[in-house]
Amino acid sequence: MKIKTLCKALTTALLLSSASVYADGNSDLDIGRLAIAGYGDVGLTFQDGLKDEDGNDVQNNVQARFIPIFLFQMSEKIHIESEIEFSIDAEGETETELEYINMHYFLNDNTIITAGKFLLPFGMFGANIHPSWINKAASNPGIYGGHGGNGSMAGVTSIMSDTGINIANVWDLGDAGRIFTDFYSVSGPRQEAGDHGGGVDMGAKKGDNNDSFAFGGRVAYAFLPAYELGFSYYSGDYSNDGDLKYTAYSVDFNWIGSFASIRGEIFGSTAGTEWEEEVELEDGSEEHEEFEQDLDKSGFYVQGTWQARQLGVNWLNPVEFVLRYSQTESDFDGSVTHELEEDGGKMGSRIYYGVNYWLEPSAVLKLGAESTSIDDEDKAHDGVAEDRVFLQLAFGF
Amino acid sequence: MKLSKILLPAVALIISAFTVQAQHVSDPSLVAKGAKVYSENCGRCHNARPAEEYSKKEWSVVIPHMRAKAHMTGKEALAVEAFLDSTLTADIRSDDHSSTKDKPQRTGAELVAGFGCQGCHKIDGEGGALGPVLDGVVASKGAEFVIKKLSDPKFNNSASAMPKYPMSSTDKQAIVDFLSK
Repeated sequence: MKIKTLCKALTTALLLSSASVYADGNSDLDIGRLAIAGYGDVGLTFQDGLKDEDGNDVQNNVQARFIPIFLFQMSEKIHIESEIEFSIDAEGETETELEYINMHYFLNDNTIITAGKFLLPFGMFGANIHPSWINKAASNPGIYGGHGGNGSMAGVTSIMSDTGINIANVWDLGDAGRIFTDFYSVSGPRQEAGDHGGGVDMGAKKGDNNDSFAFGGRVAYAFLPAYELGFSYYSGDYSNDGDLKYTAYSVDFNWIGSFASIRGEIFGSTAGTEWEEEVELEDGSEEHEEFEQDLDKSGFYVQGTWQARQLGVNWLNPVEFVLRYSQTESDFDGSVTHELEEDGGKMGSRIYYGVNYWLEPSAVLKLGAESTSIDDEDKAHDGVAEDRVFLQLAFGF
Repeated sequence: MKLSKILLPAVALIISAFTVQAQHVSDPSLVAKGAKVYSENCGRCHNARPAEEYSKKEWSVVIPHMRAKAHMTGKEALAVEAFLDSTLTADIRSDDHSSTKDKPQRTGAELVAGFGCQGCHKIDGEGGALGPVLDGVVASKGAEFVIKKLSDPKFNNSASAMPKYPMSSTDKQAIVDFLSK
């Protein structure tokens, strides 16, 4: 009897939860199946001492990227999306990279389940702001390492995308705002090869090197349209035997006005490390010794934008000014020989000044200058602090 | 047994409470709500994009993508789609929103409400902040400016996300008269 009642209740619930937003399924609605969106950019970077992969001097660096997003609406409940980046390398060959491929299942009005390779909701920039027509600057914030190139700065973390599952919810608090939650479990980071303990490889790959999944999430409070404050956390084992952990946190804040914005993020990461060394004893002999240590990095960036349309001069209406400051630091003091120590020579500060001219709401010409100051260049294995000038045309389509 | 009889329907009701009410994307009441949701959400990450950048069919596929990105509810996504659909010229001329010779002329207030202008603009302290406040706009910039802006929103700002509404000259004058009060 109980089972029968349970079945009835569940059937009723499932039928109700399946109610379509497009109730009139037989109408002649303009409902599509496939759409192609995306973005691209063409950029020119000027930098002194720039060299190509073979060490040859390069006078300027021209980049071009085309990044289509394929959107497929399988049904009212199921949506599939994939983003692929096409770019050219130094040899003129076409490089491709699968940014993400995933399926959204719209469980109900408030809940979305996403499975596949997806952009991790860690902070705001990696998940939502990084496309070049959305990113107001021509470069990434200094706290972001890895993807996209970060010059002489190492970044605090490079959490971008991975394979797994995410459950997103929106909790509407009425006039009191709303809460966004994302919780995910993904394959997680790997350990890079290295003679003195490998670093943390955050790149998404097929399969995993250990049997533990990474997990994380973001909880944000939003008082739209102006304010949003988010807290993110990420934790995963990265060594082959699963005994080394990588954790990271982020606090992101966003204020969006009608003609100005301020946004920023605070990052922190900790990588557990272990390595082996031959240690010289007092009697002159050597002993094999194992070391363990947590290596911490932290940093922040804050970015402000201001649109000149406030001046009331027609030709200045599409002009926008951008200012961004990034700073990173670590506890790497050179006392250990772990591979991650190299990042100790890549911590410092960076400031970006830019002026944008909007050709369309989703097409912008950016002119920017960036100055980087490294705290301790002696620790860097390669590269020196650089000043860069950017000219970039970015478009969303 | 009694407990299960109470709990199971309660579970069903809780689950069903999250469902989307059956509503059609062409429901006119969704347009104003959609304009507000559009104004509040699109600008969080990027410039709001005018409806004409995609076709109605494309929007119906793009909106679920943006629903996930922006953490919109299903109802909000539907409203945004309704708002964007309403601004697409090819369709609006043949539906109930349009002002044609066969339809009674709507007042400026009705047109402003019907097109969801206050989704992005404040009038009498009510409305969104994506676009400029419209109180006194006719007095400060002139009727000719407002009519030109309604006809070609990008004429003075290539980055403007304001939709290019299909309006007759009478509609535009009615809106100017409304904003002049």
